[in-house]
Amino acid sequence: MQDTTFQQIAALAHHHSGQDLSPAKPYLIEARLAAISRRESFASLDDLAHCLTSRPNKRFEAEIASALTPKQTQFFADRDQLERIVTHALPEMLKASNTGRLRVWCAGVSTGQEAYSLAMRLSELEGSPLCQADIELVATDLSAKSVAEAQAGLYSHFEIQKGLSVHRMLANFERQVSGDWLICESLRSRVTFRQHNLLTPPGPLGQFDLIICRNVLPTMARDKQIEAVAHLNAQLSPKGQLFVATGESLTGLSEDLEPSRSVRGAWCHSQTLKETAAA
Amino acid sequence: MKHCLIVDDSRVVRTVAGRIVKDLGFTVSEAGDGASALQRCQAQMPDVILLDWNMPIMNGIDFLTSLRRSDGGKAPVVVLCTNEKDPDHIGEALRAGADEYIMKPFDADIVRSKFDQLGLV
Repeated sequence: MQDTTFQQIAALAHHHSGQDLSPAKPYLIEARLAAISRRESFASLDDLAHCLTSRPNKRFEAEIASALTPKQTQFFADRDQLERIVTHALPEMLKASNTGRLRVWCAGVSTGQEAYSLAMRLSELEGSPLCQADIELVATDLSAKSVAEAQAGLYSHFEIQKGLSVHRMLANFERQVSGDWLICESLRSRVTFRQHNLLTPPGPLGQFDLIICRNVLPTMARDKQIEAVAHLNAQLSPKGQLFVATGESLTGLSEDLEPSRSVRGAWCHSQTLKETAAA
Repeated sequence: MKHCLIVDDSRVVRTVAGRIVKDLGFTVSEAGDGASALQRCQAQMPDVILLDWNMPIMNGIDFLTSLRRSDGGKAPVVVLCTNEKDPDHIGEALRAGADEYIMKPFDADIVRSKFDQLGLV
């Protein structure tokens, strides 16, 4: 891959998904674009880059940008955080709510394992106030292909065995003739999947009490991180909480968000924290 | 250091699984069938057993049933690691006393994930 090709693809990724591609890892770009390159019969990525210049196509550019994003995910990727959400954050929010309704947004969920893990954990609750609550789960990803796979709820032999106990696998999935495992209808219908780019204002999605956005922001360039956090912040209800992955920080990305004092890993509106402290 | 006994009639599987489990910080011993695995357990009970189902002399389920009835045999964490993928078979293994289940083929991430869920790593 020529330097000019790398620069062209990196600029495209930065523009469409905010991703910060490293020149030290050209093999990642080659691996992630291999399927598209084969399908379009390009002899090399240099040919692909030439095509992008000579025949600009916004849809093709978006497909390339989404193919370049990392797809690594697994069921119950952070069990401790999920438990904090289910046993602490959501019940507290429900207590403060006068409607009995909560809205949760899992942003950047790739093929859906994270959103289904939350749905699974909620379905296991017994005796929790959350059992009676109306909890809407919305999950989004940049990639239309990933969203379609998430909606299908079909997981390979390898995907189903990562993060999921055998008991949960048997309770929530059905083995198909193909050898893949299909999530049960009650969980599949519990989550609404939509294609969405974190760099575009998510206005139509509405306000959320809880947003989970794990391992997405670190792949972005700083200017795009700030943009994406501004959009997440705008969708967070006044008393809402935003969860990022353990080890991620929003420090310096938004003046309006501060770490929660009561729930580890959660970020809340600064104004709400001040009001809570004053009360 | 915790000890893992790998029971499989395939030397290749024992070698591959052994490398993965050693990388997770376990000492490893091997047995090629259920009967020799029982002897090993009688001599020294391992912390974890990675157990194949279909083996000559004594299969994995027969071994597991005998193990769980033996003195101290309830203690080891047993993870079935087998080509059997039918949910009925998986249920049979759990009823016999398996704690977790790995369907072959497997990779290091799957073993790590299962051991992590069991609190072993």
